[in-house]
Amino acid sequence: MSKILNLLGGRRRRMERDLDRELRYHLDRRTQDLVKAGINEDDARRQAAIELGGYDQVQEDVRDTWTWRGLDDALRDARYAARSLRRSPGFTITAITSLAIGIGASAAIFSLLDQVLFRLLPVREPERLVLIDWKGNALADIHGSYNLMSYPLCRDLQRQDSFFDGVFCRAPTTVNLATAAGERPEPVGAEIVSGSYFPVLGVSPALGRLIQEDDDARPGTHPVVVLSHAYWLQALGGAPDVVGRKVLVNNFPMTVIGVAGAGFRGVDIGEVPALWIPAAMKRQATPEWDELLDRRARWMHVFGRLRPGLTAERAQAGLQPWFKSMLDEDTRREGFPQVTAEQRAEFLASTIEVTPASQGHSMLRRRLDRPLQVLMTGTLLLLLLASLNVASLFLARGAARGREIRTRLALGASRRRITSLLLADSLWIALGGGALGLLVAPMVSRVLLSFLPPNVAGVDLSARTDGRVFVFALVTSVATGVLCGLAPAWQAGRLPLASWLKDRTGGPGAGGVRLRKVLVVGQMSFTLVLLVGAGLFVQTLARLVGQGPGFPTAQLVTFGINPLRAGYSTDDSSRAMRRVLAEVQSLPDAGLAGMNLLIGGSAQNNLTIEADKRIVTDRVVHLNWVSAGFFSTLGTPVVAGRDFDTRDVRPVGEKGERSAIVNERFARRYFGEASPIGHRIGIGNRPDAKVTIEIVGLVRDFSYRDLREQTEQAFFPYFEGALPAGTVYVRARGTPSSALASVRAAVGRVDPTLPLLLPHTVDEQVSRSLTTERMLATLSGGFAGIALLLSVVGLYGVMAFVVTSRTQEIGIRMALGATRRDAVRLVVADAVAMIAAGAAIALPCVWAVSRLVESQLFGVRPMDAPTIAAACALLASVALAAAMLPAWRAASVSPTDALRFD
Amino acid sequence: MPPERFPIPQGTLDMLILQILSLEPAHGYAIAQRIEQISRRAVQVGQGSLYPALHRLEQKKWLESKWQQSETGREARFYSLTRAGRKQLAVEKESWARLAAAVRLIFEEGE
Repeated sequence: MSKILNLLGGRRRRMERDLDRELRYHLDRRTQDLVKAGINEDDARRQAAIELGGYDQVQEDVRDTWTWRGLDDALRDARYAARSLRRSPGFTITAITSLAIGIGASAAIFSLLDQVLFRLLPVREPERLVLIDWKGNALADIHGSYNLMSYPLCRDLQRQDSFFDGVFCRAPTTVNLATAAGERPEPVGAEIVSGSYFPVLGVSPALGRLIQEDDDARPGTHPVVVLSHAYWLQALGGAPDVVGRKVLVNNFPMTVIGVAGAGFRGVDIGEVPALWIPAAMKRQATPEWDELLDRRARWMHVFGRLRPGLTAERAQAGLQPWFKSMLDEDTRREGFPQVTAEQRAEFLASTIEVTPASQGHSMLRRRLDRPLQVLMTGTLLLLLLASLNVASLFLARGAARGREIRTRLALGASRRRITSLLLADSLWIALGGGALGLLVAPMVSRVLLSFLPPNVAGVDLSARTDGRVFVFALVTSVATGVLCGLAPAWQAGRLPLASWLKDRTGGPGAGGVRLRKVLVVGQMSFTLVLLVGAGLFVQTLARLVGQGPGFPTAQLVTFGINPLRAGYSTDDSSRAMRRVLAEVQSLPDAGLAGMNLLIGGSAQNNLTIEADKRIVTDRVVHLNWVSAGFFSTLGTPVVAGRDFDTRDVRPVGEKGERSAIVNERFARRYFGEASPIGHRIGIGNRPDAKVTIEIVGLVRDFSYRDLREQTEQAFFPYFEGALPAGTVYVRARGTPSSALASVRAAVGRVDPTLPLLLPHTVDEQVSRSLTTERMLATLSGGFAGIALLLSVVGLYGVMAFVVTSRTQEIGIRMALGATRRDAVRLVVADAVAMIAAGAAIALPCVWAVSRLVESQLFGVRPMDAPTIAAACALLASVALAAAMLPAWRAASVSPTDALRFD
Repeated sequence: MPPERFPIPQGTLDMLILQILSLEPAHGYAIAQRIEQISRRAVQVGQGSLYPALHRLEQKKWLESKWQQSETGREARFYSLTRAGRKQLAVEKESWARLAAAVRLIFEEGE
């Protein structure tokens, strides 16, 4: 420890001073003694010095006892390097800035990647958590997406205590929450959870208590909620008396029993709940449907906490026998659907899957996983490129410092010491770049986050730089420092000293240029990869925007209405919806208005089609229930048959759909060229599905959830079924904001407490659905631009250097009759060779990363020839322009001047 | 026939320094002279190795040093034994005695 302290400046200076005094005292005393013995003073002094064995040597030996020699040297190198870098600020600033761009960008992306992909849940022993999933055909209705199970199955799994220390289930939803009676309810995120949720996760309350087993024992008996810490602070001002307060969830009174611990934000990154509700209160939380005890309703994620020492694989294998017998028992259960033999066999072949879930379950992760990996790859390429640039700068500097290094070598410095000196240089630059990069990173992060929907980015992801990002930046800085320093160090260590001493022009000879050319080739190839990537992502975005959703979006505003979540009965709800639509349609601002059932979600099922024979769709069809006027409001024409009208209103008391409209894609897939009009379909694929719904119309394809989606769709008349909630679309006459204001007033006339859910323009919706594409296109474009700049600067630097060092040769050539054109060709040929080599290296790389980007593209393939050609052309033209400048200088060399040179 | 003055054996310099300083604090030059006097000029201490040894022992916290007036009136750096240094000296003496005994045993046996 004290050996490290001894390196500190003040302490070190005192030790040096003391040592000097001590040794001088020794010499003076010895000299005095020798003089007393009769030797004259000069001889005495000389003898004393000889006896001591060399003043400097003793000093060095003593210093070695103070600290470790290597460390001391390294520090001295660092100090020297810092001084010499300060003396060339131009070089230093250029190099630090290049690295700061690379390190800043990668630290920002890493920060996001870390938050989305790598962070463990802030709960007790997250590494023991697993997700339990059904693999195979569960013959079930699906509400939601991915990894869903039924509530009764979660209960079954809770009895498997030889594998689990606990099992819980959860489902995300949105509820209308009013924190006091009479207050206008607001839609907030909620998590419906089993009673085991908090105990199994090991979360503790900040206030009151959390939901426990007996809150979830019998449906409807415990109207209680737990608030999230953030919601409590933000919406209730952290009121200390919140426990025991009554809140209205979908207009149903429930009691706040507690506030969850501060760091806990649910098990889904990107969907942060404001409150937790016991599963037993599902009817109140999701009034549209209540299939809590239905084994055929899949809507919850089931998590387990593995017993200590058990792996997910072993639990999965161990659970299969129980699962098989459960499946078998299920088929004999009352209410098991009537299915074909084939479907039954599929059901019985199902298995249970157990996968590690230390990070919970996240749709955001699913969505951003690939894009962030693509961006991380891009930034690392950029960082590598910046390192090459700095390495090249160092080589150039090394050339300028050739005389200094040669002198050091000649004076006996070891190559190791020279290497260490050069590495000290580049490490300083890299650490400077890293520090600046860390300052830049939060800004880049904020730009990144601005691409994401604000409800996600604002709540759960942040732009702040934490310890992990700091470590990342430090590690990348040191790695880049070593990388940039290696080239010049290797160069210095490689050349025979004699040839350096002979070379009087100061440069490290042809070897340095060759190495710099190799670096430029590397830069060219990285740049090309980034350019191709940017080209692909920009085209993807352009094609998606160009294609649009299949209908004109201008002036189209939309909002959701769900009277059930305001405490209405189903019948009242239906009536309210009818009135809302009528009010909105009578608005002077509204040209047309129509509505469909879905609020953000989607319904999908197989259909059974009665054509020549009875067939079942080979994949699910998206289903939607729409009002009369829906298609004309959207502007998607009915191309054959007719739109829904009064004929589709069913007699009172009759259930089920009578007529349907399908889209062109559906017609093409199942009817080919024939017209689907007049054929009958039924919902579901079971043998008992009634095939009684007549297809009355055909509409153009359009997308309403995702511009990429190309799905088969079927529409049914809205007011036939008792479907008491929906999304209203209004083609506004005035501005969208004034239209929304009058819509709000119109809904208020029906019921002032009925909230408008997610009011927005369809343009906003389309734009929001393209966030990932826009993020990829913008950032990859930015990266490619920076890359182009860096590599062109690199190329220019080398070419300028080449021209300077070949001035003599060019002069001789011109004296012997070469023309200016020859001189230009000489230089440009060099540049072309580097660009071509870069391209040759880049193409296999593009091919290698094509699999990473493929899933992010639309309407363009990863090995798109025109894109690659355009990227090559762009790089070549910009690079050649950069090479022309030195070439021009070469051409204007006058032979007489060149020959007189040195 | 052994030379009249032989260089100090490796590793014993530290022990000699500790032994000398166990009598009283002293500065570097005095230590060098005393080693020579004590060993009746039979052992020659390379003065070059004395100072690194002193600093090494100080780093090990067996010695401490402070600036004091010397016999000539000028300030000199005086070294003295610490408690740890005293303990170390005892250990070294003990192991030296054992080594010497062992060596003697070998020589006697050989005769």
